[in-house]
Amino acid sequence: MMVSFSQFLLSGSAGKILAFALATSAAVALAQSAAPARAEAPVTFNREIAPIIFHNCVACHRPGEAGPFPLRTYEEVHSHARQIAAVTRRRFMPPWLPEPGDLKFADQRGLTDEQITLIERWVDQGAMEGESPLPPLPPFAEGWQLGKPDMIVQAAKPLHVPASGTDIYWNFVLRLPLESPRWVKAVEIHPGDKRLVHHANILVDRTQSARRREEEPGAGFGGMEIRIEAETFEPDSHFLFWKPGTVAAAEPDGMALRFDKGTDLVLNTHLQPSGKPEIIQPSIGLYFTDQPATLHPMLLQMENDARLDIPPGERNFAVTDDFTLPLDVDLLAIYPHAHYLGKDMLALATLPDKSTKTLIHIKRWDLNWQAVYRYAAPVFLPRGTTISMRYSYDNSADNQANPHHPPQRVMGGNRSSDEMAHLWLQVLPRGAEARGDPRMVLQEALARHNVEKNPADFEAHYNLASMLQARNQLDEATAQYEAALRIRPDDAVANNAFGGLLASTGHGDEAAARFAAALKSRPDYFDAHYDLGIVLATQGDYRGAIEHFSAAVRLNPEDAAAEANLGSALALAEQLPEAKLHLEKALQLDPQNTLARENLEQLRERR
Amino acid sequence: MGFWRRWFRMVESLTRGLLFCSLATALCAAQIAAVNLDGKPVDPVLASRGKVVVLIFVRTDCPISNRYAPAIQRLSQQYEGKVTFWLVYPDKSESAAAIRKHLQEYGYEVTALRDPGHVLVKQGQVQVTPEAVVFGRNGQLAYHGRIDDWYQDFGRARAAPTTHELADAIQAVIAGKPIAPSTTTAVGCYISDLE
Repeated sequence: MMVSFSQFLLSGSAGKILAFALATSAAVALAQSAAPARAEAPVTFNREIAPIIFHNCVACHRPGEAGPFPLRTYEEVHSHARQIAAVTRRRFMPPWLPEPGDLKFADQRGLTDEQITLIERWVDQGAMEGESPLPPLPPFAEGWQLGKPDMIVQAAKPLHVPASGTDIYWNFVLRLPLESPRWVKAVEIHPGDKRLVHHANILVDRTQSARRREEEPGAGFGGMEIRIEAETFEPDSHFLFWKPGTVAAAEPDGMALRFDKGTDLVLNTHLQPSGKPEIIQPSIGLYFTDQPATLHPMLLQMENDARLDIPPGERNFAVTDDFTLPLDVDLLAIYPHAHYLGKDMLALATLPDKSTKTLIHIKRWDLNWQAVYRYAAPVFLPRGTTISMRYSYDNSADNQANPHHPPQRVMGGNRSSDEMAHLWLQVLPRGAEARGDPRMVLQEALARHNVEKNPADFEAHYNLASMLQARNQLDEATAQYEAALRIRPDDAVANNAFGGLLASTGHGDEAAARFAAALKSRPDYFDAHYDLGIVLATQGDYRGAIEHFSAAVRLNPEDAAAEANLGSALALAEQLPEAKLHLEKALQLDPQNTLARENLEQLRERR
Repeated sequence: MGFWRRWFRMVESLTRGLLFCSLATALCAAQIAAVNLDGKPVDPVLASRGKVVVLIFVRTDCPISNRYAPAIQRLSQQYEGKVTFWLVYPDKSESAAAIRKHLQEYGYEVTALRDPGHVLVKQGQVQVTPEAVVFGRNGQLAYHGRIDDWYQDFGRARAAPTTHELADAIQAVIAGKPIAPSTTTAVGCYISDLE
């Protein structure tokens, strides 16, 4: 790192090097550590340094990857030698946030103290090439790392990133051109120019809810945090995450993902202007499999955003959440998440025998390097284990990442200048569960925990309600929907979901009122039109049903069920030629649609 | 007067420890002058005689100096006529062709120099890219250090800078006022002092 004393006298610019050495305390440590090594053979690139660089740096520091310059040869490394010594000493490179602990992560990066000292000695001694044979560069796959994908989907429109300005958070909505459900064993993310992209995260949108936020189809939309709506319980059970240096990997055996016709993938990206205008157009590669999922991991989200109200100047604002597992799980991966004020982020597991495991500990959080961390081996956590999220936040001016200058009061929220306290865990519940699908048992326990934690939180009640509805505990689900709707009486999704429950229990009039309320706050709500159409048709109001099925078909012309129901309602209203048209359209969209086929047959018989 | 100015600056350099070059001709020959992109030797301070001179040290592949490109270009335009800006590429591995491409990609309209012998690096006492050096009208080193406080450490940038040391130094020099501080530590990519 620093030039040693004897060398700087020789170089003849004492003033420069001395000022340099005083600027960095590490220089003193270096001078001491380097001294005893004098008698040893000099460190050379070919013998000692190339293996370190090739193993730890070149995956990103090669053309087309995230590193700003390549480090494949002596010349390339030599040109950056002093920089490499500085960034490794500060542990800025290779980027890796978690502290070393008992649990090992897959793809763990980082140099040992010995390796860092060796690099410093090499630079001190003049960064010599040496005469030993150079070890070969490890092989790196070019292009798609997992081979040619079965399907490539590119963002419909590129994003123009200006030369300067603040970081950009952009969401690309990728429409999957699937005609039928497919099992996917791997998703490889190509985020575009990797030098600009800090991370990219895929959210599965089965209800096309994200599209509504695009100003024009395919344009995407801004925003750091997005929420994907789902009206039925379907756990998003996989982390689909890219960060610089990510090695694309297939999901473990048995853990395929299912994507359907109409599934959208929302690629949430964090981009940093590079100094020149850039164009970003990400793509993803899908790898199909014939093997349906046999293992069903799920994502547990712990959080406590409601506690985030951080006064300006506060250096150590603590936020916690504690959740006790209702069954045995294997922990597969973990994803701690905060914004720019996050400082120390710890996740602990306290087992029933009171022993503890540090699941992850990041002492110096840096949003720019946020990541999903997969464990090298699953971590068994028995029923009764309490998982504790322990985060602290620094809202002082000393926190260089503070988005406010001077510091301001910061609350929880979705904007990058708001804060978050989230901890996601991917777990695989163990064994068969007498109480039903173990994921639902877990999700219900988490939903109950959230209602206790935040009794005034709409989403906590709504999520518990929909979970209880899915588990057929309808009385309690009704109470939770009512609690949610007391907090947000006009919420379209909650009104629609509660309407669904009421309709399924024979309360047609009350259900129709809920669907109407949903449509009042969101007139272009496909599901509410469809559901209201069903209820009205059941009540014999075919004219009303036709009106709402027509609206549904206008909103989603690709939906076979809506077309089939519209055709059926028209048939019941004796508008036979139009009925035939829509039933045929439904069959075009989905040749397997039973309703459309049977009703078309009936129409033919009546002729 | 021109001769005197140059002499004055040499004295200044001598006090900074560049003694060898003026005395030992063997070492002096090894010191390669800064050149423009056509390979002609240029002394940017002499060439801009009577004007305030700003050197900004950059390299084509340093992500921090690259992110500063729009700000550097803006500053050079803001002080056009009063201050002569030069971009200095100190890494000897960067060719004139690579630098031309870099200037074009990043929209630079500032004259670029190569400094493979680190004559300007030593004269300006710089250590990293990006780092700025300000010379007064008399050719005297007035400021060297960071452009502003945008970057605090590797990978640690503020949302926006809160201090503007280079602009402050330029204004002070133009106004003939003292500069405080005249030296700051810049964050960036270390300029290699290895042969």
